[in-house]
Amino acid sequence: MDPLKLPITAGLATAAVTITLYPLFEGGAWFWSCMGVILVVAATGAVASRLGARPWVAPAVAPVAVLVYLTAAFTAEEAFLRVIPTLDSLAGLAALVGEGFDDIQQYAAPVPANPGITLLTTTGVALIALLVDLFAVRLRRAALAGLPMLALFTVPAAVLPEPIGWPAFVVAAFGYIGLLVADGRERLKGWGRAVVVRRSGGPASGVTPDTERLALSGKRVGVTAIVLAVLVPAILPALSPDPLFGFGVGNGLGGSGGNIGIPDAIAKLGGQLRQDSNATVLTYSSSDDKPHYLRIYALDVFDGAKWTFSPLRGRPEDRVSEGPLPPVPGLGPGVPVKRATMRVTISEDLDRLHFLPLPYPARQVDADGDWRADRGSLMVFSTRDEVAGLDYQVVTDEPDPGLGALRSAVARPDSEPFLRLPDGLDPRVNALARRVTAGADTPYEKAVRLQEWFTRKGGFTYSLRASGSGAEALSRFVLRNRTGYCEQFAGAMAAMARMAGIPARVSIGYTGGSKIDGRWTVRTHDAHAWPELYFDGVGWLRFEPTPAGVGGQGSAQVPEYTRPVAPEAEPSAGPSAGQSDDDEETTGAGGPSRPNPRQLDRESQGTAVAAEPGTPTSVKAGLGVAGALVLLLLPGAARLLVRRGRVRRLARPSGGPHAAWAELRDTLTDFGMAGEPGETPRALGRRIAERYALDPRAAESLARVVTAEERLRYAPAPPASGPVAADLHRIRRGLAAHLSRWRRLGTALAPASTLLRVRAFGEGALDVFDRMENLTPRLSRARLSRAPLGGTRRSGAREGGTRPGGPDGPFRRPAAGDDAGAARERTLTGTRR
Amino acid sequence: MAVTPDVTDATAPLEDLVDTAHRIRNAIESVIEGKSDVVRLTLTVLLAEGHLLIEDVPGVGKTMLAKALARSIDCPVKRVQFTPDLLPSDITGVSAYNQQTREFEFKPGPVFANIVVGDEINRASPKTQSALLECMEEHQVTVDGVTYALESPFMVIATQNPIEMEGTYPLPEAQRDRFTAKIAMGYPEPAAELEMLDVHGASQPLDKMEPVATTAEVAALIRAVRAVYVSQPVKRYAVDMVAATRSSTDLRLGASPRATLHLVRSARAHAALSGRDYVIPDDLQDLAVPVLAHRLLPSLEAQGQRRQPEQFVAELLRRVPVPDAH
Repeated sequence: MDPLKLPITAGLATAAVTITLYPLFEGGAWFWSCMGVILVVAATGAVASRLGARPWVAPAVAPVAVLVYLTAAFTAEEAFLRVIPTLDSLAGLAALVGEGFDDIQQYAAPVPANPGITLLTTTGVALIALLVDLFAVRLRRAALAGLPMLALFTVPAAVLPEPIGWPAFVVAAFGYIGLLVADGRERLKGWGRAVVVRRSGGPASGVTPDTERLALSGKRVGVTAIVLAVLVPAILPALSPDPLFGFGVGNGLGGSGGNIGIPDAIAKLGGQLRQDSNATVLTYSSSDDKPHYLRIYALDVFDGAKWTFSPLRGRPEDRVSEGPLPPVPGLGPGVPVKRATMRVTISEDLDRLHFLPLPYPARQVDADGDWRADRGSLMVFSTRDEVAGLDYQVVTDEPDPGLGALRSAVARPDSEPFLRLPDGLDPRVNALARRVTAGADTPYEKAVRLQEWFTRKGGFTYSLRASGSGAEALSRFVLRNRTGYCEQFAGAMAAMARMAGIPARVSIGYTGGSKIDGRWTVRTHDAHAWPELYFDGVGWLRFEPTPAGVGGQGSAQVPEYTRPVAPEAEPSAGPSAGQSDDDEETTGAGGPSRPNPRQLDRESQGTAVAAEPGTPTSVKAGLGVAGALVLLLLPGAARLLVRRGRVRRLARPSGGPHAAWAELRDTLTDFGMAGEPGETPRALGRRIAERYALDPRAAESLARVVTAEERLRYAPAPPASGPVAADLHRIRRGLAAHLSRWRRLGTALAPASTLLRVRAFGEGALDVFDRMENLTPRLSRARLSRAPLGGTRRSGAREGGTRPGGPDGPFRRPAAGDDAGAARERTLTGTRR
Repeated sequence: MAVTPDVTDATAPLEDLVDTAHRIRNAIESVIEGKSDVVRLTLTVLLAEGHLLIEDVPGVGKTMLAKALARSIDCPVKRVQFTPDLLPSDITGVSAYNQQTREFEFKPGPVFANIVVGDEINRASPKTQSALLECMEEHQVTVDGVTYALESPFMVIATQNPIEMEGTYPLPEAQRDRFTAKIAMGYPEPAAELEMLDVHGASQPLDKMEPVATTAEVAALIRAVRAVYVSQPVKRYAVDMVAATRSSTDLRLGASPRATLHLVRSARAHAALSGRDYVIPDDLQDLAVPVLAHRLLPSLEAQGQRRQPEQFVAELLRRVPVPDAH
């Protein structure tokens, strides 16, 4: 028994899971630090095992070793001899930990690997490594060691905006399986040595039980499980197929599967704003030569932790290449719009963005690729294409509502999704929202007051050292420190607008940027979040609660229509009077009389406001059931096809008898009447005819099939005449009479012959895997020239013989026919009953 | 003759064979009741140019079978009763000095016959037993440096008592391997035994037996058997089967390549006796136990469990897949 194997495998397993943390950090310094600590734990464990120490020794010593390692790695300066922890060095570590916590509060992933964060990460990984070592090596409960590893694995899954890519998952899963395999083998070896009798009389010393075979089947189960875990979600219609091939995509294709893959857009935004470099994200030219906010996401769901969007739906007919975008939700026919045409060029470096930055509301987009618009939010996205390097033209009709229209707008009673607030919000925020909007009569006035409160009256300070837009961050922001950046401003205003009864959502994107050399240039620091509020008849309007200018979001602009107006001021007649004329001018043909189908729809059917609800659950369930049904029917259908093909081949002189025989064999397999591998055609015919008492005609048919096959195989000349389709049919009917109705149905749905073939195919694939995997161990084993582990098949069998159990001991590999034969025996008895 | 030659070539020998074999069988079965399997196997071995080992307890008709076969064919038959003091020269023959011609003259031993019946072969010393070796395999005898060819067809039918019995020397592996097949007679069925009492009670039926076939006829049959077609899958099956005995963990010694040869040869005869001009796996399966089992040495564990080689062969037949493709 190799005492080093388990501790080392435990270390490797932890390291495999640690790799999945990679996308959380910038740079790899943290990784080497973590590998170091894993090495320390594994080495301590290995030494303890080697010395045969009691199980509690390693868990007691390893933390000390970890502390020494951390001291040497992080606070060597203060330490005695650079490694022995002193009070100073401990204080240093504590300070670093504090820094690390602060930094983590501040940064969104990927975080810079500064010492504090690295220390925290390393300590966390050390804890996991200790637990894995404790469970797997000391307590010998390798399966339990999966729990701490799973805990580590969930960190990137929970924090990262993108789902974890499948290669990372596979690496982590292999680490765990490796641990299980090693543990299983150690357990088997604990059974002791074999007494070996050899025919040749050669020396047979040091033979250990042959665990090779068992490990092989273990690995096969493991590999199959992993492959299924990766493939099945990709195949199932209810889940987004994308994560299979993107190393985490974040396209937010939630339309098909709930919230899977929705990016934590806000977390990403914070990361962008805090970047030191201010790279150019995109440039654009505009026909009206004015800056336009470019929206990427519209987040309409506030779940208390963050803002996110409801499932998108990109229907094929909503491809932007098909024509104008879907109608603007809520925009009434009478509202004048300002048309502008923009040409946008996206930087090549923009990574993994599958949503087009567009002005709202975009009317027409001319971009290469399969871009589709979501009807509710007018977000334009693609499941396949990325925006990086894209050059596209977009036409926008920004509404230019008069104050009259705005003032008369009311909140719609059925806009509930955009008013929904999570439970557990601080009631004081609600009270504050009421207070701020008190005295305002219309939703519009309330909105303006809110914006004014954020920008002027509330005493807010712009600072990037803030984080979060969840419930807790909200109350901290509006009730206590009133310090934050666009994320907090936009989130807070949207939430408070909802509290005040105005449908609201948070948009993420970029501000209009600044004009450089005649083109509008948008950089990383122009990343922005802003609230959009819904007014009936006008639709969604942008508001800007974030302070602009040097002390705030540099290029943010307060929209014209939100300039504060005195509540007592009379509505100015100007803009509203010229409304319809404006409309004619700016929108051109189709403008004034353009109906708004959405609105009509909504009114006639009373469905939810703007947001496309996505596929209804019932439809999803139906699709799922249909998919499952199709999967269920596949084997039976495949079998039917095969039978058809064989019957067709029967007619041909060349393959006729053979096809009949193959069909007969498959029929017998399906019916559970198959014989042993050593059964000759003649013996099979005899057995079937006798056991199932076929009627004379069927027996004759059977004899024809059997004789033809026999002659074809073994006689010098092929048979003169072969069986015909009717023969097969007769045999099948005769045999089926011996099955119960349920058995017949089962046979039709899940024909054993087809399933066996699928299994054989899978085993073939696994064999290839085994061969690849066994290449290296074989070599090293040969070099070690230790006792023949798996090299001698006999050692295993003889091992069995030393126990009363006889050669059927646990290490004997059953011969190919053994278990199959036994299984068949069972089915046969089953049928007889 | 009105029949065209090529048609006769293809079918007539086979029909002749079946017919002649039938006659011989009937003749033997008039002496040995209720043992048609054994008789058929005996004929198979004869047509396969092999040698037969009959093992069973005394008094079940081993010698009777051997003699009946010999009698039914009109050919020289010699019988050797093996005893512990039998010498090799008693079997092969001896060169004696002829006083008149003043030359050494070879006096042929009992092996110079078409059918040699070796009774209780395992009672002789190993030295004498091995004197049979050369005869059986090479169909020749070498005495004093001179090699004499044996008759053709040549068949040794040896009987032996189970090795547990007193005064027996077990046959060495090498010699066992030279026998194509080993069969056990087994006790007769009560009905057959009853009939035997009627037939054998008054007279010795063996005395009344008339030969039903000539040597030339048997030689022609053997030629016909050689022409029986063995397809590639069947050959592969034979090889697979024998290979399985070599890799079985329950066996200390598997079957030799000679066993493969004997298996296919006797399968030809078996097929021909069924009137078929090609071998099917069923032929091999029917013959596997008598042809293979006596060559196998069970491992110590298997011996400890009193498992017989016959069981292993039967197990193997179930397991080794029948090849199906050409």
